[in-house]
Amino acid sequence: MIGIIGSWAIIISFLAALGAFITYFFASRNNDLKLEQAGHILFGLKGAMMLLASGLMVYLLLTNQFQYFYVYNYTSSDLSNVYLWAAFYSGQEGSFMLWILCGFLVGTGLIKWTSDTYRAPVMFFITMTQVFLLSMVLGVSLFGINIGAGPFRLTAEEFAHLPVFLSNPGFVPPEGSGLNDLLRSPWIIIHPPIIFLGFAMMAIPFAYALASLWKRKYHEWIYPALPWTLGANLCLLIAIFLGGYWAYETLSFGGYWAWDPVENASLVPWILGTAGIHTMLIQKRSKIAHKASIIFAILAYVTIVYQTFLTRSGVLGDASVHSFVDLGLYNQLLFFILAVSLSGLILYLYRMKELPSPKSETPMFSREFFMFSGAMTLLIVSLVIILGTSAPIIGRLFVPNPTPPLPQFYNDWTLPFGVAIAILSVLTQFMWWNKYKDTESFAGTLIVPTLVASLLSIAVIVLVNVTTVVYMILLFAAFFSIVGNGIVMIKLIQKKARLIGGTVTHIGFAVLLIGFLGAAYDTPMLDRNTMNYNAAVERGEVFDSDGFPEQQTMEVMQLHINQPRRISDEYYVTFKNVEIIHENRPGEQRYTLEFEHARSGDTFTVQPLVYPMIANSTAGDMSWTVDPEVKMGLLRDIYVYVQGSSIVERESNRVRDETTFQAVSDILMNGYERSLNPEVNDLVRLAPGKKQQIGQYEVAFNRFINMSEEELPENAIVGVKAEVELTNRQNRYTETVIPKYVILFEEGRNRVESPALELEHFGFDLMFETIDTQTDEVHLRLIGIEESIEDEWIIVAIEKKPLVSVVWLGTFLLMFGFSIAIYRRWDDQRRKTRGQPNAGDQPVEDETKTV
Amino acid sequence: MKPRVIFGTAAIVVFTSLLMWNFGNSIGSYVGFDEAELSGNRVHVVGKWVKDQPHGFDRERMVFTFHMEDEYGEIRRVSYNKPKPNNFEDAESLVVIGSMRNGVLYSDDMLVKCPSKYNDASNLEMTSAE
Repeated sequence: MIGIIGSWAIIISFLAALGAFITYFFASRNNDLKLEQAGHILFGLKGAMMLLASGLMVYLLLTNQFQYFYVYNYTSSDLSNVYLWAAFYSGQEGSFMLWILCGFLVGTGLIKWTSDTYRAPVMFFITMTQVFLLSMVLGVSLFGINIGAGPFRLTAEEFAHLPVFLSNPGFVPPEGSGLNDLLRSPWIIIHPPIIFLGFAMMAIPFAYALASLWKRKYHEWIYPALPWTLGANLCLLIAIFLGGYWAYETLSFGGYWAWDPVENASLVPWILGTAGIHTMLIQKRSKIAHKASIIFAILAYVTIVYQTFLTRSGVLGDASVHSFVDLGLYNQLLFFILAVSLSGLILYLYRMKELPSPKSETPMFSREFFMFSGAMTLLIVSLVIILGTSAPIIGRLFVPNPTPPLPQFYNDWTLPFGVAIAILSVLTQFMWWNKYKDTESFAGTLIVPTLVASLLSIAVIVLVNVTTVVYMILLFAAFFSIVGNGIVMIKLIQKKARLIGGTVTHIGFAVLLIGFLGAAYDTPMLDRNTMNYNAAVERGEVFDSDGFPEQQTMEVMQLHINQPRRISDEYYVTFKNVEIIHENRPGEQRYTLEFEHARSGDTFTVQPLVYPMIANSTAGDMSWTVDPEVKMGLLRDIYVYVQGSSIVERESNRVRDETTFQAVSDILMNGYERSLNPEVNDLVRLAPGKKQQIGQYEVAFNRFINMSEEELPENAIVGVKAEVELTNRQNRYTETVIPKYVILFEEGRNRVESPALELEHFGFDLMFETIDTQTDEVHLRLIGIEESIEDEWIIVAIEKKPLVSVVWLGTFLLMFGFSIAIYRRWDDQRRKTRGQPNAGDQPVEDETKTV
Repeated sequence: MKPRVIFGTAAIVVFTSLLMWNFGNSIGSYVGFDEAELSGNRVHVVGKWVKDQPHGFDRERMVFTFHMEDEYGEIRRVSYNKPKPNNFEDAESLVVIGSMRNGVLYSDDMLVKCPSKYNDASNLEMTSAE
């Protein structure tokens, strides 16, 4: 029932959006305010229906209604409400719904704040994007064509071919298949909503640019569009940061950035949005660059749709770790991208002739020229990233069945432009706030930042022994940018602090560049033995069992409990203990590793996690995953994760024989702790010639020895000895002992005499308990072995990652700078509207021309 | 006007050709074991884990070895210098990145493609069978 209401809510929402789309068109064409009001009502209806559908979906998720496929597919009854809410946007359909909701939110803002001139056409284009997004979740079949994937599909429809549904159509699965364990992290609550808010906001400059082309008012649109673009950029930036931090800190992706298509999907629009912000600033200041502003505003949104197409249509296939599977939306996504780009392209070409052009050529030596060059550099960078991300398509020009490019490709083709941007930002800032008579006086002011940057770079190069020329150049450019922008910022703070947004973002960008450099110096921290082994492998001196030279170096090492190891000649690291905590997920293990600095003796502990991925496991096969722990430092992080351990091995063996998923999950939920403190079984049963490990000891039973007549006491019926070889594997001590087993006849009945042997070098006494005559096994009891320690071990990867904190610092500076800029532009806009109702039509002199 | 246009066009042409040349070099092709052996370069091989052949993590050398069948039906040993990746067992296919020497694929990077959740009804069948 709820599903039917939900499906109809989506259909009505779609129809309302379609109606609003048409209404806004005529409202805009005829400048009809009444019709526009009708459009708003339809737009509101669209939003209300989408809210209703989303509310129903969340209700279904919270109440575990597994008869709905989406609920079945993304949740299970053990999830807490927070994750049940997050499951709403964990799948494709739900994330489209979230995107539409964000679009509704920004649309409402636009209705409220947009001036009469642009409101109808802007809403027309915003609604166009909504129509396409809504079509993705429509779930309706028309003339045999399926449109969209409906989020309220029933499990029974999805699995109609399964026997259980064939025999019982009303069957409701008792349990869902669960949320992917990797997504069970607090970050999922905040990361996706922000990214979709950013996506939705980026539609605003797009809509404004197209509205300006339609209404032939090519200048005024940038005033309201500027704060929105800044806001969209801030959202994308925060989302990118959260994603990077999530990947680095709690997923084991190894770093904060991997040039994955999904990551690029939000980076490229961010770069183009930034370029657009700069051209809008030029346009605002100098009444030029109208074309560039429009083009960037269009491109920023087109790339959002394009990257959505890449990641959701299944085109990327093997290329991405986390692209979505194809839901059959390929054609619809293709239509979406075509509609967005063609509407932009056609309108632009149609108006190109009458778009304002600069009357004279911009001189080479001018702030406009430098700023424009910066924007073009950003364009180039984004084109490079688009090229790389599109490798599965464009790569076919070069090779059949192409793979994604190596990360090196992206690094090589973006960092040099980063250098250019850092330098251009200083030149532009100096010229933006000052007037220079000639190049000479301009060059004069650059002496200070150049000198300071050179000194700083040389100091760093000498101190940390930088040997690569490219890195030296990058360092210089970054320091130059920090000092140059810093000087401007200090001057601005003294005059008018709210103008510092630009300089703060530029400093943040330069700080980021320095941080990125750190990634080139990531090194695994290993013990001396492993390092020697790796060096020998590299010299070709190690051979494998087949006699071929060993190819692979070791990047991880094994640590035994309470046995310190010296790593990188810097720390002693000790595996102290492991606990099973069940904190965030059932069966979560927390390992404690202690680091002691070799010289200073300072210690700290890290506690990486390992947990079973129950939702991803099947009977007999347990999947495990790791949650690294980072010891943050000012200049370098120490990144630790446990890749394997004795517990994981024991547990995997224990579940291997289980044949049902339920049994496996029971073991992990309940009987798991026993694995930590196993009741040490002190009884060893061995046939001759067999051996067994028990804790740190190895017990080998060689043979039975029959006792001769002389050895036996008088009243003995039978006597036998066992030759047993005991080894302590920790100190390699071996001893052969021969316990006895004699049956005596005393006072009319049989009595066994088998004295325990006291063993000096072992932590137990050994007793020959009995013989199993059926299997010919000896039973040996190791008395007192409970006290011995189980040999716990872990396979651990420890990496030194320099300057990660600097990357975060740069990101925070960028966010801070963007926030200041939004405040300032929004405030400007507000003051202007308040002063003159139609301010949007009359460009106001920039109040901050001279500082 | 003229020199600027000529300079600009030349810069664009040079830049684009360099970029495309480098791009062409930095992408590879998904290949089978035979081709990987011949090329000797770093390649991507797509295949499936052969479950009945010996596999396991060697704690002496810190490598995970297993056998994989590529898309052409060839089976070779893979030596991966990290522990077994997540979801390895129920992977639909593996993309192993590395180079071939003497019939062994030495890999330091692996993508595990899981069966799409949309078709996976294994758990469902199990629960309903009880």
